[in-house]
Amino acid sequence: MKTLKRNVLAIPFLIWFGLLVGIPLVYVVVLSFMSRDHLGNVVFRFTLENYQKVFDPIYLRVFANSFLLALLTGFITLLIGYPVAYITSQLEPKKRNLAIALFMLPFWISSLLRTYGWVILLGNTGLINNVLLALKIIDKPIPMMYKFSTTLIGTVYMLIPFMIVAIYNSVDKLDRSLLEASYDLGASKVKTFFKIVLPLTIPGIAGGFTLVFTPALGLYFISDLLGGGQTIFLGNLINTLVNRGRNRPLAAAFSVGMILLVTLVISIYGRITKDKGEGLFQ
Amino acid sequence: MKSKTNRFGIFYLSLFFVILYLPILSVVLYSFNASPSTAKWTGFTLDWYRQLFRDRVIGEAFAISIQVAILTAIFSAVLGTAAAMVSLMVTTKMKQTIQRMMLLPLLVPEVALGVSLLIFFNALKLPFGHLTLVLSHSLFCVPYVYIMVLLRLQEIDRSIIESARDLGATKWQAFYTIILPLIMPSIVTSSLLAIAMSLDDVVISTYMSGPTSTTLPVHIFSMMRVGVTPKVNALCTLILVGTFFIIGLNQYISKISKNRGLSK
Repeated sequence: MKTLKRNVLAIPFLIWFGLLVGIPLVYVVVLSFMSRDHLGNVVFRFTLENYQKVFDPIYLRVFANSFLLALLTGFITLLIGYPVAYITSQLEPKKRNLAIALFMLPFWISSLLRTYGWVILLGNTGLINNVLLALKIIDKPIPMMYKFSTTLIGTVYMLIPFMIVAIYNSVDKLDRSLLEASYDLGASKVKTFFKIVLPLTIPGIAGGFTLVFTPALGLYFISDLLGGGQTIFLGNLINTLVNRGRNRPLAAAFSVGMILLVTLVISIYGRITKDKGEGLFQ
Repeated sequence: MKSKTNRFGIFYLSLFFVILYLPILSVVLYSFNASPSTAKWTGFTLDWYRQLFRDRVIGEAFAISIQVAILTAIFSAVLGTAAAMVSLMVTTKMKQTIQRMMLLPLLVPEVALGVSLLIFFNALKLPFGHLTLVLSHSLFCVPYVYIMVLLRLQEIDRSIIESARDLGATKWQAFYTIILPLIMPSIVTSSLLAIAMSLDDVVISTYMSGPTSTTLPVHIFSMMRVGVTPKVNALCTLILVGTFFIIGLNQYISKISKNRGLSK
């Protein structure tokens, strides 16, 4: 009975969480099975129509686009971010602190500003084209905006700090004596990296991937500003369905799909870190 | 072990940081360009900033954003700190439950979270405005306060509290005179982070704003969608200055309070 009394203290947080996360999410699932009348209003009648629409080839395409974008964002941030984290961990303390500050700082800076910066850089009259034109390397602007790759640049840029921090924490914890032992036994730097450093930092990589993948699915302002609506992603679709289409049940079905996709990634992450004892969910 | 990082490593790192900051710097640079287009640099001007201060809509959006950010920070500081304290008092199982609860809002994509809240608040017929904005922002701010305060609480030397209790302090006295001052730096810095995150949020705020309560990022986003204007650059630059002010404050607070009264 005493433990029960102690747990009473947690009630306010259970209410906060239940009202703002629990019930709304359950409600979204319920709504995704509801129909609409001819005016577009939600009617509480069970239907699978919304999910049938999700599997419509046109909409499946949207899922594929988003999945590809999130996956590529994960891989590219890993490829660019891993060396950054690794090199930073090898620096002398003073320089290391500076590097850490530099890759942490963007967390604080407005994400709209950081996206808009690429509009300024990549536009037809943007900074990159201006410089190339002035140097006479090109004679007419290279169109760089409103492509799938432009959105990809935006998401990679926005989310790479998460990847670097996750990997850095992992690399920083490495037992240095293992590396020395490897060198002493005659392994080269490259071999040591692939045989020892990389396997030991897998939890960090998986953590970074999870932290990058989830937001990459839904950051619709990046694809709006940089992709110009040329490729449609889940975030944009849900946003349009809610604001303009007023088709909330369908928006709910897509939200459920999105959450399932994230759950899949997180459960893979849980598998990877399960035995290593350093997951996010200890 | 002192490993000498080779030149290539330093070069790679420097290049990375240049690219990381180039978009930010170019936004700042073009806010001073006299020409309304980025095509040409036609001279230095502060006109865009003057226009900005005359824009009433932006002023209102800014006021709403600030109000929401401060209310969110206060709400999150109280709830997050209380949750951290409570999770050290409840059973281990309940502590794990609280921790999972705190992580979930950070793991669900913001769009899904925003849509679910929109649909739910709509069903409740809650008016969209300050209340919905603060409640929704608390979802991603409370967890940070919770984590940072919990980390600090776990570092506190328990014997200090025990000796206070031995000397006759009540539970509340021990809390006010010993625990609270020790965790205060974490509360303040995480609240500053909460302010920064609330001021920056676009995705959830789009769904939570009422007809008369558009926040600054939501307004800026609609400006950006229309196209590139130096006015947006000027606005972004001012926000950047504000951000640096908050970071500076944060650094100052963590410096003066470093390792005071902790067990290590």
